[in-house]
Amino acid sequence: MGQEREEILSAIQHCVKCKLCSIANFHPAEEWQPLCPSGEFYGYQAFYAPGKLEIFREILEGGLTESSEGLLKSVYACTLCGACYEKCRQVTSVEMRLPELFEELRGELVRKGWSLSVHREIAEKIKETRNAYGERQKYRDGAKSTNENAEVLYFIGCTARYRVPEIADAMLEIFDKLGIKYQVLGEEWCCGSVLLRTGQVEAAKELVAHNSEVIKNSGAKTVVFTCPGCLNTFKKNYPELGVELVHSTQFLAGLGEGEGGSDGDESSGGGLEVKKLGMAVAYHDPCHLGRDLGIYEEPRAVLREVAGEKLKEMKREREQAWCCGSGGGVKSAFDEFALWCAGERVKEARAAGAEALVSACPFCKRNLKEAAEREAEEREETEKEGEEKEGKGMKIYDVVELVSKGLEGRRK
Amino acid sequence: MNFLKLVQGVVGEENATSDRAICASYSRDQHWHFVPAKNPAFVVRPGDKEEVREVLVLANREKVPVVPYSTGINVRGLAIPVHEGSVLLDLSRMNRILEVNPEMKTATVEPGVTFGMLLEETRKHKLRPAFPDAPLTVSVLVNYYLRGIYQTSAADGHDHTLSYEMILPNGETLKTGSRSLSEMPYFRYGVGPDFTGVFSAHPGTCGVVTELTAKLYRLYDNRKVYFVGFDEVGAATKVIYNLMNDELAASIRLVDNQSWLKGICGTFDFPYEELPKFVLCVLVEGVDGIFEAKAKLVQEYLADSADLADSGGSGGRVLEFPEEFARTFEEESLGGAEKSCMVFGLQGRGNYHCIGLYGPLTLAAEYYALHEKTALEVGIPQDHVHFYIDPIYSFHGQLCYFELDVFYDGSEPGAGEKLRNYNAKQFQRLLDLGIYGWFRPYAGIIEPTVERIGHLAEVWKKFLRVLDPNEIMNRGKLL
Repeated sequence: MGQEREEILSAIQHCVKCKLCSIANFHPAEEWQPLCPSGEFYGYQAFYAPGKLEIFREILEGGLTESSEGLLKSVYACTLCGACYEKCRQVTSVEMRLPELFEELRGELVRKGWSLSVHREIAEKIKETRNAYGERQKYRDGAKSTNENAEVLYFIGCTARYRVPEIADAMLEIFDKLGIKYQVLGEEWCCGSVLLRTGQVEAAKELVAHNSEVIKNSGAKTVVFTCPGCLNTFKKNYPELGVELVHSTQFLAGLGEGEGGSDGDESSGGGLEVKKLGMAVAYHDPCHLGRDLGIYEEPRAVLREVAGEKLKEMKREREQAWCCGSGGGVKSAFDEFALWCAGERVKEARAAGAEALVSACPFCKRNLKEAAEREAEEREETEKEGEEKEGKGMKIYDVVELVSKGLEGRRK
Repeated sequence: MNFLKLVQGVVGEENATSDRAICASYSRDQHWHFVPAKNPAFVVRPGDKEEVREVLVLANREKVPVVPYSTGINVRGLAIPVHEGSVLLDLSRMNRILEVNPEMKTATVEPGVTFGMLLEETRKHKLRPAFPDAPLTVSVLVNYYLRGIYQTSAADGHDHTLSYEMILPNGETLKTGSRSLSEMPYFRYGVGPDFTGVFSAHPGTCGVVTELTAKLYRLYDNRKVYFVGFDEVGAATKVIYNLMNDELAASIRLVDNQSWLKGICGTFDFPYEELPKFVLCVLVEGVDGIFEAKAKLVQEYLADSADLADSGGSGGRVLEFPEEFARTFEEESLGGAEKSCMVFGLQGRGNYHCIGLYGPLTLAAEYYALHEKTALEVGIPQDHVHFYIDPIYSFHGQLCYFELDVFYDGSEPGAGEKLRNYNAKQFQRLLDLGIYGWFRPYAGIIEPTVERIGHLAEVWKKFLRVLDPNEIMNRGKLL
């Protein structure tokens, strides 16, 4: 066990079961807005943080000696979004570190052999192909380093390579338009995030060792990630690599640094010459980028360059953003729940007056897009039944896609 | 057919389970030092009152113990099973606000409706419920049914419940107040005795309440907040008496400067230790002319209080706080407790214990002294000991809610034992000193209390037997 048993039990004892962790700040707007996706969807106490802590206690104290459908579902149908932890910390200042506790709980289940077959299959795929999707082809044959010794290395990640390549395409196009030399790894392996988040800690070790080695040998000084899950894993689970690890939005926002951005703000995205797209957009905070890494402002700053005044805020944002539903191994194991979460977010974006919902994470984009498409299909059916048309389907983007569309170069 | 299959036939397979992990998540609440963890054998989540009725009838027939549960914010062990093989009736799916009636100033709710949910609706009509000093995630129905006296707004008085509908173990429905006579559930006293009161305050022991109609109160735009410091409880009670006697303030709360004041102000980051030990928080509200007159009188009382201090008396000192402190106090008192729950994390300890009780303002200083004395005797450190008073209109009997608090680290070895020792001594001492009643049926409180109430205890038990002859409801120590 990573953490000592007594340490975990001690943390569990600090939950007073007030369940304020399940709603976004009520005051001053005085609106009841749920914050816990799994609790809201499944309903039983086991799916809220206080209930999950009791399950963990029961396991540690020896009361639960067998796996069950309810155990696996309540433990694994949680996106580890960390909204409960942020809300609890904001109110009480008590550092419960809930996502880490829940990861520890999954680790404990895996050690007992109580895991989901779909997660074990992902581990097998990674073992065979070094990517989480078991894909054997390479991402975009042409995606080669522009300079083998470039100081900037783009770590693409499995999802942007094999499921939402438009994000990787956009990032590479941005580098090209800005004249930035970059490397991509021919031997990029899965970062290990999906294994670590699903409790398969041992299986991730080889991946961490490999990626650490190739990055150290690359000579790069900065590693850029479009996937916050990869970035978070590098920051949290990798040894110190002696390189700067940044998210794409941090990288882009930082281009104005010392060069005078549009408003003089050093991380404003003001170093980019971007054509405004004339579209109302809402920004969705990815959990790994926001709650895990505390990166809230840079994506907004970059997006503001594209959307200007048409950048909208949804009711639940930043530390209290509603999760897209994709993380923590949920998308692979509980797709219906994942799509419901994303559907809720799409509705929220529409209520904020957005035509497009923009994230900064390939997982978020993939799930939100599927939910938006499903919603559009359902609405089409409703329209056929003669009901009132509610508007067009929500468009889903990653920040780098919009930047790439409008980018004209660096601001002089 | 086994019980699970039977209830799944009523509520659907997805809403009833005997899964050990799901059941374990209901096994313990914040009162675990006093009420040990116990798993229900089944968790059932009915979607409406007809399903509640059918499940109760089945449980009654099979003699399966039933523990009703609303939104899961249980801090006193009231929804923790006592018996093996219990069914926990999770009513959180029943979360409809059945009516908000601005003309009648009432709301009718199901058990899963929280104070936050209800305020979101009622504020559209410039109305609000009476708030308990509990997180706004708690159930409106269950809190009112537990006891109709609440404290964050003194002006709301007590008895917020007008009527309700309760399903008995045999499936019969009891309607209280005017609800029993007509479709108008807006009056508490319908036929014969006050049945609304008779069935209240012994939760989960008679049946399952599925609908409740409660009073709503005006939300005013005009508000003014004052904070006044006192060095000791007795001095503050004189000012409280004057304010209560003239019915001037919406909210009057005397808190200590190291616990609830932080919650009321909404931040840990302020030099509270430099303030007087106790701070009286006063909120005045009302329509234009009345508001101004009240505010003027309150200011005069507070000025008089300061004069008393200057002349060597026991007066207070009006404190100048940042504007946002006043705003937080307004929100938390008249909009539901959220930020003030930060007290759960005082000094990073994370746990909260209290004895809440009703008594007269005249005994305030003695309650506090007794709290300190008992706590120190059992080894609870002085800086864990906290206290507050909320007086309640219309102040007959100088009615106040008192809370004797201990904020502690539940993971510390010996913490539970100290608290159990504290409770055992303190219950007896408070009963000896004199109280009006307990706020909640805390673990260990029933035994010393029942000893003192004479034949009433037997009548009470017989009454419960009539309602629940198979004893499937959770009677605790009243068996």
